[in-house]
Amino acid sequence: MSTIKALVVDDSKIMRSQVKRALDQVTIADFEYEEAMDGEDALEKFNDDIDMLFVDWNMPKMTGVEFARAVRDQGYENIPIIMVTAEKSMGKVDKALTEGGADEYITKPFTAEKMSSTIAKFFDARGNLITDEPEEEKKSFFSSILK
Amino acid sequence: MITEQLKKAKEIPVEIVEVVKQSVINTIESIAGEAPTFMYEDTENGPLNGVIGNIAVFNPEYTFSLMLVIPKDTAIKISEAFLGMELSIESEDMGDLIAELSNILAGEVAANMETVGFRGQSSLPTATRGSDLRLFMPNKPPSAKLRFVGNVGDFLLNMALSESRQ
Repeated sequence: MSTIKALVVDDSKIMRSQVKRALDQVTIADFEYEEAMDGEDALEKFNDDIDMLFVDWNMPKMTGVEFARAVRDQGYENIPIIMVTAEKSMGKVDKALTEGGADEYITKPFTAEKMSSTIAKFFDARGNLITDEPEEEKKSFFSSILK
Repeated sequence: MITEQLKKAKEIPVEIVEVVKQSVINTIESIAGEAPTFMYEDTENGPLNGVIGNIAVFNPEYTFSLMLVIPKDTAIKISEAFLGMELSIESEDMGDLIAELSNILAGEVAANMETVGFRGQSSLPTATRGSDLRLFMPNKPPSAKLRFVGNVGDFLLNMALSESRQ
């Protein structure tokens, strides 16, 4: 089982703890954590050692979508970005996935089961992180959200 | 359509109140596992010992301010339901928790308000903790106080409508 370094970005300490607690229950991989309080803080802490991003939307200084876009614009096309947010209108989901370049979208409050099933597609059968997500999968995910 | 109603509103339109009421029920149910019951529209302004979560759903024209008024015992039960452990009312984490609860509520309200034609976004949440807290609205805006009771105890949602400041 691989060890995944996750950057958890949320201005709420309680929610960062909730994300970590849910990830600790995921059996497919072990997680280590870096935490950031907003998009700017996350940009400072983001580096090549980070394997996955869990990002809130509504934060001071820089929103989660702006941070996600900044990561993609730096050339990190394949790092999984999971939005974990209270924003749940379809327009917001669309914006996060298209403008932000996020791969997945989890609405708060979430369960450990929801977290586990959402991130499972990023791992192969050996528990290794797949960073080259097929474009077709993204499209099918997007279609399923819009249904 | 709803914007026209809001221009002349002396009270918050019924369809908006209903959307917010349902959003509160959905939000608390998603955390506590049981839907709270709407009791009545309250007119009391008694002091509160507990936490108030503040957030707004707004667009360039109008702002709906939402205040989630949570007594101490209810706040403690919410912490147990949400986190699996009781937080002290004095702890910073309690403020963080109720602010986050307000954030989740605002996300639900914003999504559901789109169904009645109001497209808005959420502000950042804040929380106020203390004893003998009272809500004052100096300009007497259109407002509604909705009282609920559920497995986490009783609580109040106070909402007020105002024009957005440019």
